[in-house]
Amino acid sequence: MEIRTEALTKIYSVGSSRITALDDVSFEVNERAFTAIIGRSGSGKSTLLSLIGLNDVPTSGRVLVDDKDVSKLSGGERRKIRLHRMGFVFQTFNLLPTLNATENVELPMSLAGKTPKEQREKATKLLETVSLGNRVLHRPKQLSLGEMQRVAIARALANDPEVIIADEPTGELDSKTAKEVIVLLLGINREKKKTVIVATHDEKIVEMADIVYTIEDGRLSFKS
Amino acid sequence: MTFCFRNLFRRKVRTALCIIGVALATMFVIAVGATTLRYTTVIREMNVLFHGQIMVASKDAIIIQAIPISGGTLPQNYTQTRIEKILGVEKTVPILFIVPIGASDVSQFVPVNFTWGIPVQDWQSIFGPTPLKGNAGRFPTNESSNEVIVGASLADQYNWTSGSELNVRGYRLSVTGILDTKMALLSRSLIMPLKLAQDIYNRPESVNIITVKPTVGYSQKSLADSIEQNVTYVNALTEGERNDIIQPVLSQVETWNIGIETIIFLMSLILVMTVMIMTVSERRRDFATLDAIGAPISYILRTVIFEASLIGVLGGALGITFGSLSAIALASLYSNIPIAQFFPSVFEIVPPLYMVEIFAAIVAVCCVGGIIPAINAARTRIAEVLRAEY
Repeated sequence: MEIRTEALTKIYSVGSSRITALDDVSFEVNERAFTAIIGRSGSGKSTLLSLIGLNDVPTSGRVLVDDKDVSKLSGGERRKIRLHRMGFVFQTFNLLPTLNATENVELPMSLAGKTPKEQREKATKLLETVSLGNRVLHRPKQLSLGEMQRVAIARALANDPEVIIADEPTGELDSKTAKEVIVLLLGINREKKKTVIVATHDEKIVEMADIVYTIEDGRLSFKS
Repeated sequence: MTFCFRNLFRRKVRTALCIIGVALATMFVIAVGATTLRYTTVIREMNVLFHGQIMVASKDAIIIQAIPISGGTLPQNYTQTRIEKILGVEKTVPILFIVPIGASDVSQFVPVNFTWGIPVQDWQSIFGPTPLKGNAGRFPTNESSNEVIVGASLADQYNWTSGSELNVRGYRLSVTGILDTKMALLSRSLIMPLKLAQDIYNRPESVNIITVKPTVGYSQKSLADSIEQNVTYVNALTEGERNDIIQPVLSQVETWNIGIETIIFLMSLILVMTVMIMTVSERRRDFATLDAIGAPISYILRTVIFEASLIGVLGGALGITFGSLSAIALASLYSNIPIAQFFPSVFEIVPPLYMVEIFAAIVAVCCVGGIIPAINAARTRIAEVLRAEY
C-alpha cells in the first residue's frame, strides 16, 4: 500500500480561534518501510496519523492511497479501507473493556465477515504471536499495560492489513515493556513485511526506524 | 448480543434502575389496562345476552347496557300482557335481575355477584346454547322448585357442585348445574326460577326487565317506539340504542386509558433515552475505536438500539409479570373474591394478546428511545475523541 499526502492542511476551529494543526504537509510513506514521525506534544503527529489513517478529513490537500485520492471518499468507503487494509495501535490501547483479549482481536474479523471459527483460530494464533496465549480470556482490566498494548497490536493485525499505524504506542509503558512493544512492531515490519508508521517521542523507536520525519508546528521535515 | 448485554451491565445500578423504571411503567399500564378491559368487556357482554331483542325496563331504572342496576320495577303480568298485545311482538320474557346476591356479607367496590330470576320455560331464550359444566346437571324445570344453576366462578369460590345446597336469605336452594361459560357476568351469576327469585327477594309479581322478541321482519326500532307509546312508564331499548347509551362512556374510558398509556410510554421513552445518552457519552472512546477499526455506522446504530431494546425486553417481561399479578390483586380487591381463584384465569383477566401488545409497545418505545443516543454514538468524531486523550 502506497500512501502519499499532497499539501495536506488541517485547521481546527475552537470557538472563534482557528488552530492550524498541519500546514502544507507533503510526504510519502514507503511501502514496507518502518517510518517514524517525531515531534513534541501538539506538534501535529496525531493529526497527521488521523488523516493518513482516514480517521479524519483534511481542511485542504489530499491523501492518496495507491494513487487514489481517498480524502474525497465517503465515510463508508473510508471505513472499508480502515477495516481491510489498515491496522491501528493507540497510545491508550483502546480495547473494548467488555470484551476479553480474544474477543477484542476477533472484533475486526467479525466486522469483516469472517466465520466464528476463522476468527477464533486467527485470534488465538495472533495472541500466541504476541506472547499472550495464556491470557486469552482476560478482560483488559485484568491485563497489565504492556499486555493490553500487545492485545491491541494483535487486534491491529487481525485482518492482515498492509499498513500498521501506531500513535505513541509506547507512551503509556515503562521502558522494559516499551522495548517489548517496539520489538513486536519491528517484527511485524521485518518478518510480516507490513508498512509501519509510528508517531512517537521514543528514541528507541527512532533508532530502529528506516525513515524518520520530524514535525514541528504542523510542518513536516525529513530527518533521516 | 453478549457484547450488548455486557455493555449494558457495565453500569449495573443505572441499568437496573432503568429496567425497574420500565418495568414499573409496564406494570402500571398492564394493571390499569387489564382492569379497565375487564370491566368494559363485562359491560359489552351484557348486550350479548339479549341479542336481537328489545329490552323493556321502568323509566326509573338506571341501566347499563341491557342491565338495570338500580331502581324501577315493573308489575309483571300487567306489563307483559300489555306488551304482548302490541303488533309485532313474538315473545316476551320477564326477568328479575338482582345485584348483588350477597353470597357473603362483604362490601365491594363493584358488583360482582348477580341473581337472575327467569321463568323456567324461557332459559334457552336468554342463555341460548350455554352448556352446563361437564355436561352434567340440568336447568330447573319446575317454577316452584328451589333449584338453581350457578356460574362457574361462583361455584369455584364456594365449592359448589351439582347437588350442593346453599342458603340465600333463609331459603335452602339446591344446585342443579354449573354454567360452563367464560362470560364474566354469567360466571358470577346465580340463576333461578322467576317465582323463586321473587319470593327470596320479596318482590311478588315484580320484574325489572322484560325482553321482547320482534316477529320476523318487524323492525326493533318501530316496535320499541310502539311499546313506549302503549306502555308509557317503560323505556324500550333496541340493541342499537343500548349500545348508544354505553358507547360514549366506553369510548371515554378507552380514550383515558390510551391517554394514560401514552403518558407512561412517553415517560419510559424519556427515561431510556436519558440513560442511553449517558451510556453513549461515557463510551465515546469505545465508539470512536469501533469507528477507527472500520465498524460500519449500521453496526454502531444497531448496537446502541439493541441495548436500548434489551432494557425494554427485560423491563417489559418483569412489568408484564408484576402487572398481571397487580391486575389479579386489583380484581380480587374490587370483588372480594379470593386472589387464588384468579390465578387459573389470569389469561382471562390479562388476555395474552394484550400482554403481547404491551410488550411489543414497550420494546418499540425503548428502541425509539435508543435512536437519538445511537445517532450520537455514530456521529462520534474519531479524531477528536482519540486526540482528546493526549
